[in-house]
Amino acid sequence: MDLALKDIRRHLGKFLATIVGVAMLLAIVLVMNGIYRGNIEDGIWLIDNTATDLWVVERGRGGPFNEPSRMPLDSYRSIAATPGVQLASPIVLYTAQREFGGSSQQFTLVGYDVFGGLGGPGRIVQGRAIAAPHHEMLADRKLGVRLGDVLPLGDDRYTVVGLTGGAVDASGNPLVYLSLPDARKVQYEQDRDALVAARAQSLKRLEAMGIRGEAAERLLPLLSGGSDSINAVLVRLDPGADGAAVARHIRDWLHYNVYTTQEERSLMLDGRLKRISAVLGLFRALLVTVSIVIIALIVYVLTIEKIRSIATLKLIGAPNSLIVRLIMTQSMLLTLGSFVLAYGLRTLIAPGFPRTLAFAPHETAVTFAVMMAGGVLASLLAVWHALRTPPQLALGG
Amino acid sequence: MAILDIRGVSQTFGTGETAVQALKPTTLSAQRGELLALLGPSGSGKSTLLLAISLIQAPTTGRIEIDGQVLHDDGPTGVDIRAFRRRNIGFIFQQHNLIPFLTALENVALMLEINGVGGREASRRAAELLDYLEIGHRARSLPARLSGGEQQRVAIGRALANEPALILADEPTAALDTARGMKAMALLRKIARERGTAVVTVTHDHRMIDGFDTVYHLDDGVLTREPDDGTAKRP
Repeated sequence: MDLALKDIRRHLGKFLATIVGVAMLLAIVLVMNGIYRGNIEDGIWLIDNTATDLWVVERGRGGPFNEPSRMPLDSYRSIAATPGVQLASPIVLYTAQREFGGSSQQFTLVGYDVFGGLGGPGRIVQGRAIAAPHHEMLADRKLGVRLGDVLPLGDDRYTVVGLTGGAVDASGNPLVYLSLPDARKVQYEQDRDALVAARAQSLKRLEAMGIRGEAAERLLPLLSGGSDSINAVLVRLDPGADGAAVARHIRDWLHYNVYTTQEERSLMLDGRLKRISAVLGLFRALLVTVSIVIIALIVYVLTIEKIRSIATLKLIGAPNSLIVRLIMTQSMLLTLGSFVLAYGLRTLIAPGFPRTLAFAPHETAVTFAVMMAGGVLASLLAVWHALRTPPQLALGG
Repeated sequence: MAILDIRGVSQTFGTGETAVQALKPTTLSAQRGELLALLGPSGSGKSTLLLAISLIQAPTTGRIEIDGQVLHDDGPTGVDIRAFRRRNIGFIFQQHNLIPFLTALENVALMLEINGVGGREASRRAAELLDYLEIGHRARSLPARLSGGEQQRVAIGRALANEPALILADEPTAALDTARGMKAMALLRKIARERGTAVVTVTHDHRMIDGFDTVYHLDDGVLTREPDDGTAKRP
């Protein structure tokens, strides 16, 4: 006769309500796991999904993700001429916030050489890649646009020709891909009033230097804000080329900073993601601890409620194993049932969650193991109390 | 043959100047089929003696023998007391102490199962026992749905399940009205007679005294046997 199951059957409503309560807490633990892992995956998605061997950025900068980096547009040509470099492609990365379909959306704009260059979207889930030099865009589904939508960016309108899935920047915002010239135009385009004001400012500076009239007008383009810059150059090495030697050559002779993909990942993980990951990790640990404490208290209370029955069992000679099994079975069923329900809740919550939730099976397994171990530990307190209960408690009124 | 034979059993709590002798050296025996009462006011040492007999609280001194097995002789004798209780002693409690989440049948069957009887056989024998106690029609009921008298019958069924040589009853009629108390006593008498079980009952319920074969009085830890001729003075 399984006393634990009999007890649960007689108090099914109460037991299920307890499971629901604990499951909601465990669901938060599982979602926190997803947020933690999602934060890291979002942070390095663009690095991992840009098929390049080296990232070349402005000298002295930790860019292009952790720190702004600006390089001359034609810098990629000299990099391409470096021995061991098979392909060098310019890339522009720019975080923007615009209104689409009545709601304000933040996204990162990626401008790349759409005709064979590096830095383009890896996998297109719907539609096609950009085929025209202008006015076509690819966007991640997270932006909420559909194939064929025409979106205004600056003075121009762009047609969505393809959609990606899960292409996000380090903050979890969707990526939008444009051709390099289009991206640079969007990045550096100024509003008409701002242009007039900048022109007036430049003329004033020229006048101060004694240059007026037609001569000043001819010099104006040289003073206007340069739009001939990019943020980084992506490098693909020749097969068998020594990446370290190529990087050294670019550093020494072209005076740029060079990072391998692994170094870019490290920059991101040890910099921008480090603190938030630590905070999320701490919250996760606290939640697990709180969950175990709550399970312990519930199991303890369930045991205390039965303490007279336990005393009676001891008095009539029931072996300790029967009492231990009663407590442990209920504790395990409570933990297991709560975890299964929490897993279901997590599955329901995930699709509508505002941030990327990434679930690593091994993390879920470890969380399950920790919770079960916690349940066992938690029930030990109750077992200890039960085994110390004097059988004479069953006597008397 | 004496089912219960205790000699010189005493119980002292504390040591030195604070020591309290709750039970003076006591000797008594109960024969097969005998219904024995331990009568006394609260604090007289009744429960102490009951705990000592069942070895739940080992006595300070003395010898305890149940059904031919010496369990204590001025100290432990190496017998597994809990296993011995499980097999040889039935308990009946004042508040019945049925397991609240088990039905009447399951409460009785549990006692058989912890003595190694298989589930199906335990249920069959428990049902038979409940029929014998005329409570078979409530076998599927939870204790909370039974009256006090019905609960007491189920508790008696549980105590009888392992066919013990000795039943220890702690105030078995205290929670019952007079009529139900009389019925419970009649049932205990019937069990003692038909099954040859020795029944030792701790009680302060003077209403039930006439039904016992032997009556002992406990006062300040001193046990005295009431004369068999019924001349004893009772409060």
